[in-house]
Amino acid sequence: MYTEPLNKITLKLEQYTNAIATSKYNPFYYHGALPQFYLWVLFLSGLLLFAYYIPTVDNAYASESPNLINAFTSVSYITNTIPFGVVIRALHRYAGDAMVLTIILHMLRVWFTDRYRQYRIVQWLSGVALLALVLFIGQTGYYLIWDERSLVLTRMTCTAFDAIPLIGQSLKWWFLNGTEITNYTLANFLFIHIGLSFSLLFGLWIHYVRMQRPVVTPPPVINYILVAILLLVVALVPLESSKMADLTQQPTEFDVDWFFLWPYWMMTVMPLGAYWLTLLVGTVVLCCLPYFVRTKEVEAAEVVINKCTGCSLCAKDCPYAAIEMVPAPAGSRFKLLATVKPYRCSGCGVCVGACAFDAIDLPDLLDSDVTDKIKAIAQLQT
Amino acid sequence: MADTNGKVVTLICERAVDLDQHLDEQGRLKDEPNVSVVKFPCSGMIQPLMIEAAMKAGASGVIVCGCQLGDCYYREGNKMIRERLLGQRPPGLKKTVDRRRVIALWLARPQIARFLAETKEFVGVLKELGPVEAPQPAKPATAPAAAKPPAAEKTEPGKEPPAQKAEPAKAPAAEKAEKKEPAPAEATPKPEAAKDKGASKEATSPSEVKQTGSSPDTQTESKQES
Repeated sequence: MYTEPLNKITLKLEQYTNAIATSKYNPFYYHGALPQFYLWVLFLSGLLLFAYYIPTVDNAYASESPNLINAFTSVSYITNTIPFGVVIRALHRYAGDAMVLTIILHMLRVWFTDRYRQYRIVQWLSGVALLALVLFIGQTGYYLIWDERSLVLTRMTCTAFDAIPLIGQSLKWWFLNGTEITNYTLANFLFIHIGLSFSLLFGLWIHYVRMQRPVVTPPPVINYILVAILLLVVALVPLESSKMADLTQQPTEFDVDWFFLWPYWMMTVMPLGAYWLTLLVGTVVLCCLPYFVRTKEVEAAEVVINKCTGCSLCAKDCPYAAIEMVPAPAGSRFKLLATVKPYRCSGCGVCVGACAFDAIDLPDLLDSDVTDKIKAIAQLQT
Repeated sequence: MADTNGKVVTLICERAVDLDQHLDEQGRLKDEPNVSVVKFPCSGMIQPLMIEAAMKAGASGVIVCGCQLGDCYYREGNKMIRERLLGQRPPGLKKTVDRRRVIALWLARPQIARFLAETKEFVGVLKELGPVEAPQPAKPATAPAAAKPPAAEKTEPGKEPPAQKAEPAKAPAAEKAEKKEPAPAEATPKPEAAKDKGASKEATSPSEVKQTGSSPDTQTESKQES
């Protein structure tokens, strides 16, 4: 398999980490739980920011009032006036970056260690969707500040939508919440930012649903370290100051946060048609990655109906929630019967290990055959 | 059938330590021809009754090997078999199986050297333990045995080495004194693989310590038990 050399490198890296941190605290073994943790940090810090954020674009040129209140001034208020406001804001920014970073690492690890295909396809596809959502949510976060960068990004996005045939104009209308940038636009950005963030929870449910006992929480020690890393970055990398967006001006430059704003860099180095095509092809390739490798079809476990006592141990133990207990057929001595959902079965055999009644089997490896083989080995005289 | 022919059966999963280079055509370790290897798709497929069957058929010991704890390719298989062996999850290992003759190793694909070293040490331990004693039927009447708590993985003081005289009354108590200890690498001197050893933890009787050739890990393993 073409990922095997990458798998070797990953295992070697984890071997060294195990030596330092022990397998119980190896952060690589919590690769999915790390972005989940940063999501909680984002929700909490985002909630606090939301308390003071005002989604309007009114500025000096449109309003005569000296006490200007708009998105940018509310962000300045949070940053400069509210105690620890700048910390919460920076935490929110860097937690977002950390989340993208840990998602990429998570994606790479499941890819390199071959845990994204066949019975894991739903996890992989939902993961691609989640990544796209997270990236877009982060971009809307940058629009919300409503500084010069936000203005440039908004205009670039509109130009990019213009380049899409058929639905481009509708997308632009949806994005701007109208035909030009108004207060409705910023309210829309806020809605997208928060609403999509909650829809992440739904996406995560789909991401987790095919696993029993998904590992979503790192041990507390790792959580403390994750927060400490964030706070360190907050202390060492202050947020840049910026100028309020002015709709009469045409700023052209902006600082690129590479975690989220790399698509905008792409827009500057290639024609927009090529840009959209690249994104589309990239997404399709990612979604099809599980199909590039062809291995043996999984032979799903099969229940031996007349032996099953309905003890439910196999259903409880199955790592992929592939076994469901149903009412036993009429005339059975027992109340429940195990049934296997073959599209979820990984062929691991944990159910076979759990069954004390020899009532479930992997068709290509009967446990009775294995036991016979073990006995034969044990009896053999040297 | 008290004989042991020194055979050790290794029950290993396909994704754990990669032994293919070290096996001959019949699935025996080239370095230790008494050790045979049986492969599973996942260590979670190992049934405790397979271990019982191996011992009953005359094997001297059984090695269970799965992926690193926390990194099972199928997510939870190694956790499952580990908990079954420790009695924390049904189905469990029968009380008649001598726990000193079962070890569990949790090793990733590249950790071949570690596997071979542990196997060699285990074979040495088994040699010291001597021939397998025939399992005795449980005798509930005798006082010291009856006082035993059912989760008899705790060490019982005053346990008799099975290789010597086997007093039937004490035999059930004598069989499994040691607790198979998960030794996640928290504090062991060899931290890169969590492993269980058959060595006794809280054993105080000198006979046991001598028998099993307790390693320096013993102290640390007892700390990790909780």
